[in-house]
Amino acid sequence: MTALQGLFRPATVAEAVSLLAGDPEARPIAGGATLVAMMNAQVLEPAALVSLAGIEEIRGITSASDGRLRIGAFTRHRETAASSLLAGTAAAVRDAASKIANATVRNMGTIGGSIAFADPGLDYPPALVAAAAEVEIASVEGRRTVAARDFFVDWYTTALAPGELVTAVLLPRTDSGAAGVYIKHARVSGDYAIASVAACRLPDGRLSIAVGGCGPTPLADDEANRLLEDDRSETAIEAAGAILVSLADPLDDVRGSADYRRLLIPRLLLRAVRAVDAASRRDCA
Amino acid sequence: MNPIETPVTLRINGEAVPLNATLDETLLTVLRDRLHLTATKRGCNQGVCGACTVRIDDRPMRACLSLALNCEGVDVRTLEGLERDPRLLALQRAFAEHGAFQCGFCTPGMLVSACSLLAQEPDPGEASVRNALAGNLCRCTGYVKIVAAVKDAAAVLRAEESRS
Repeated sequence: MTALQGLFRPATVAEAVSLLAGDPEARPIAGGATLVAMMNAQVLEPAALVSLAGIEEIRGITSASDGRLRIGAFTRHRETAASSLLAGTAAAVRDAASKIANATVRNMGTIGGSIAFADPGLDYPPALVAAAAEVEIASVEGRRTVAARDFFVDWYTTALAPGELVTAVLLPRTDSGAAGVYIKHARVSGDYAIASVAACRLPDGRLSIAVGGCGPTPLADDEANRLLEDDRSETAIEAAGAILVSLADPLDDVRGSADYRRLLIPRLLLRAVRAVDAASRRDCA
Repeated sequence: MNPIETPVTLRINGEAVPLNATLDETLLTVLRDRLHLTATKRGCNQGVCGACTVRIDDRPMRACLSLALNCEGVDVRTLEGLERDPRLLALQRAFAEHGAFQCGFCTPGMLVSACSLLAQEPDPGEASVRNALAGNLCRCTGYVKIVAAVKDAAAVLRAEESRS
């Protein structure tokens, strides 16, 4: 292996992963919204960067040949927030994109860069977990996919191995009656979430819930989802909320105390459940 | 630090600008320190404040989060490069009339963001203006006068448009 130096601008994923395989210190750069801020703060001082800006195959939102929706890793938040393809449960991802930071940052940041950073306060992770997304990953060995639920491993840690690159997010396409919402609680519009809840409703009425900002990775629980399957009463929502609270491991930080975050979970869950049921009724009407 | 300078040609305000930049050098540093285009301000240098907002391929973006070497092939427009844009003139007048600044440090970024908004939306409502300026922080006056100035500039431009 030889250490790379400077900026590389590959035109294909194959070239990009071969560069990354050649030097474990080389970093991929997409929109730059996080990486360059870290470079400016001298938290990271990479000698080599692999720019993903010239790789056409990882841009944009399309219907994949297997019927799923495919969001290329280099798709900017602005485009994801405006995509009419992201309907049904995938609307939770669109909703999350629209609540990231501000319009200027949404013009820059990409979904691949965002999830690879895996900050627990980010908006995409809970939405991707609730929407049953898969993350497509490339390396010189080929491609693999990981369920979003398994992609987020720990604080700022993902399932990506050295030399691997996120190439896309894959979302199931759902029929009429399905809906997805993302409810974010932040100090001011555009800040990181203090806590957030993504809720997706399948066409048969079942819910898939994930909580953001309340631990190293999004909180999701099959039993909590099952409690809400046929019962959307406040009692059922409280019980499901209690399970999610028991899984929470929130930080005390400038945005809110750990206790405050635990108190938010059942309240945001109530809002999310009401909103997603209302959204599915609008869709049917 | 990466001391190696690489030659790159950027397109800034419609002109091809050949220069050398290091890997860690941002577009903001190139604009201010190499080209002396100082309307673009360095505030937080981490993408939060919006004082360094420029247009890249017609969309407002952060110069401080854009690496100079990675800007090859895109069209960069700074506030200086918008001086012939009638929207900018209307915004400048409206900002002055409304007293939409105090220290003025955030104003160039506000103007770049507002100019882009008016190019896309000639009649923006209050929510649209606030949404477009959400990434531009003002620590002096608050936003009421700024929002009023942008809406006023839009009204002036629409009136001019209907006369011509």
